[in-house]
Amino acid sequence: MADPAIVTRPGGGLRPRRAAAGRRTLTAYLFLAPFLVIFAVFVVFPAVYGLWISLHVWNPLLDDHPFVGLQNFFDLFTPGSLTFEDFWESMGATGIFVVASVPFLLAIPLGIAVLLNRKIKGGSVFRGIFFAPYVLGVAVVSVLWRYLLDPQLGVVNAVLGLLGLPSDIPWTVDVPWAWISLVGITVWWTLGLNTVILLAGLKGINPDLYEAASLDGAGAWRKFTSVTLPGLRPVMTFVVTVTLLASANMFGQSFLITQGGPGTATRTAIMYIANQGLVQNQMGAATAMSYLLFAFLAVVSVLNFRLQRDNTK
Amino acid sequence: MKNPTLRAAAAVAILGLGVSLAACSGGSTSASSDSVRADAEYSGPAVDITFWNGWTGGAAPVLVPKLVAEFNETHPDINVKSNAMEWADISQKMPLAIKAGKGPDVAVAHGDDVATYAAQGLLLKTDDVVDALGYKESDFPEGLMAAGQFDGDQYGVPWSVTPLGLYINKDVLAKAGLDPETVPTDAESYLAALEALKAAGIQGEWADGYVFTGTFEFESLLWQFGGDLFNEDVTEATFNSEAGVKALTWMTDLIKNGYSPANVAQDGNINALIGSETAFNWNGVWQTTNEALQSVSWTAVPVPQIGTEKAVWSSSTHWMFPANKNQDPDKSAAAATFVKWMNDNSADWASTGELPAQNTVREDPGLLETYPALAPFLEQLEYAHYETVAPGITNAMAEVTTGVNEAMLGKKSPKEALDDAAEKATQLLKQNKAQYGG
Repeated sequence: MADPAIVTRPGGGLRPRRAAAGRRTLTAYLFLAPFLVIFAVFVVFPAVYGLWISLHVWNPLLDDHPFVGLQNFFDLFTPGSLTFEDFWESMGATGIFVVASVPFLLAIPLGIAVLLNRKIKGGSVFRGIFFAPYVLGVAVVSVLWRYLLDPQLGVVNAVLGLLGLPSDIPWTVDVPWAWISLVGITVWWTLGLNTVILLAGLKGINPDLYEAASLDGAGAWRKFTSVTLPGLRPVMTFVVTVTLLASANMFGQSFLITQGGPGTATRTAIMYIANQGLVQNQMGAATAMSYLLFAFLAVVSVLNFRLQRDNTK
Repeated sequence: MKNPTLRAAAAVAILGLGVSLAACSGGSTSASSDSVRADAEYSGPAVDITFWNGWTGGAAPVLVPKLVAEFNETHPDINVKSNAMEWADISQKMPLAIKAGKGPDVAVAHGDDVATYAAQGLLLKTDDVVDALGYKESDFPEGLMAAGQFDGDQYGVPWSVTPLGLYINKDVLAKAGLDPETVPTDAESYLAALEALKAAGIQGEWADGYVFTGTFEFESLLWQFGGDLFNEDVTEATFNSEAGVKALTWMTDLIKNGYSPANVAQDGNINALIGSETAFNWNGVWQTTNEALQSVSWTAVPVPQIGTEKAVWSSSTHWMFPANKNQDPDKSAAAATFVKWMNDNSADWASTGELPAQNTVREDPGLLETYPALAPFLEQLEYAHYETVAPGITNAMAEVTTGVNEAMLGKKSPKEALDDAAEKATQLLKQNKAQYGG
């Protein structure tokens, strides 16, 4: 991305400008260098090393790591192999979670942000309340809800029972209830972050546009679709991407609330990959799966950017 | 020795003594490099030894430093440094640390991990040290020494055992008009009690499909019906045998017959027992120290014999002597003396909710006077089954839980669930064999 400050302006004295620009570029690089070093050591190197690992049977406990070429990847596409069924079941679980959670994680925060953007009394208090769960760790959230949602002893079923509703819903142990719980908990837990980002985006929309729309006779809904949504587009692209990736990386909630159960139905891809690599010590297979998951997410992210690109310009 | 000058002087003195002792002892240090040197009582130079364990909860964080301090005081030539960290951290760090020569001189591991470490060449053999310390198989519960052996060699020295038992909420039994002092011992009396509870509107045993209760109950029943988890050389999963299907069907029938609610969540059953919602729970000896449990009138008895023979699940922990790169044989020998002393002084280990492995300690009448609740657990040790000894076995064992879980939650029939799990487990055993050998 070209920074306008660094680009040489036409018509100016070329030589001294270029020298100054060079110096400025050098300065910028110097300031960027520390981050680049960290990025190279902790992101680029592990990523490349991971690719190398994925070509081996890599048990970190053992000295010998036999080279197997692309076998780990072939296994993921060979029905009946040790990893095929479990991996695709976990990818399916991740898919279910993404499809079920992302719409809520966008729509609800957007609605709350629009409400909070009005000049209402105690707006900042509400903002604080909606954001509050987000500061809790996944372990706290999960333990809390596991108690509340216990099928026999939990508060939720007890309250349902008092209201004359079914009081034996297996919230944490059977599908589809487990999915409803996982999605609900995640939405409750993380909606504050998206709300705050969208709220900041709303505040960035020029109020004159609303006034102009009013003068043209636009109602509230028309203003929302013709001013608010287009105005939010850059922020929305960011929020959608980040939310998609966060949901696709869901791990802690399943791990702690459902233990991946019933059986392995709610075991997400990250949970299975972590189990393969860190518990079963099959680093080669685990890295191969990571690359496949990465490929999926990359495609989804690119599609998302394409779809949300501003076509009016 | 609060005074730092004094302490330094003492350290110098001990060090000097150590050097002179080392000069005298000469030849005795030349032990074979893959075994712990056999000393009945350590007589080498003064050494510092490090000790890793996973005892981070319960009574252990107070008890272990106390024991270590006592040992250090009575053994001026050995200074043990205890390092407690989460079990999961140990299993991740220790292999690498040992290879780098930075691992501990002695550590405690669960029975299902010993073979995994041994197969990687991370442990010293302890056959000689077991002889030198005078340990015999009969010094420990039957089968426990074997639980520390791999490929014909001894790698572990037993430390503790943790069998399952039947926990009973006496108030709930009384509420159903049952005599709380008459405890069920077999299938007939157990089912009769469950039936009486059901008549009183109480679901007597909440059966789940999770580790710590459901999985261990299933394993106990599998052995009771004459089955086993794996074949003799651990190349094939056999828990889907007729005995396994019988065991798991017996458990799913608890739900079918209304003795248990469906869809019990993890820990739901012990919480229900504490909440006086149910009468029975198959759970480990570690629950005896559960503080919440003390608020109800409870007792524990041996698990009833449902199948054709007596059997109960138990896990065990073992002392291991890591084969660090450039391991100092003196340190390993000193560690052996420490292990012997710890086992001899392990009576209070019962306060952590585990049973000391050494028979003489458990059979001391003083133990039951202090910890009367442990009696039923001690009683069961003669027919307890320990974890399968095979490298990497934990991944195959995870499949058992998956199978039990699927059956208990009604996702699959017991037979189907066990067949699927056994097929997967056998595949994993093959993978383990290929990677670890042995």
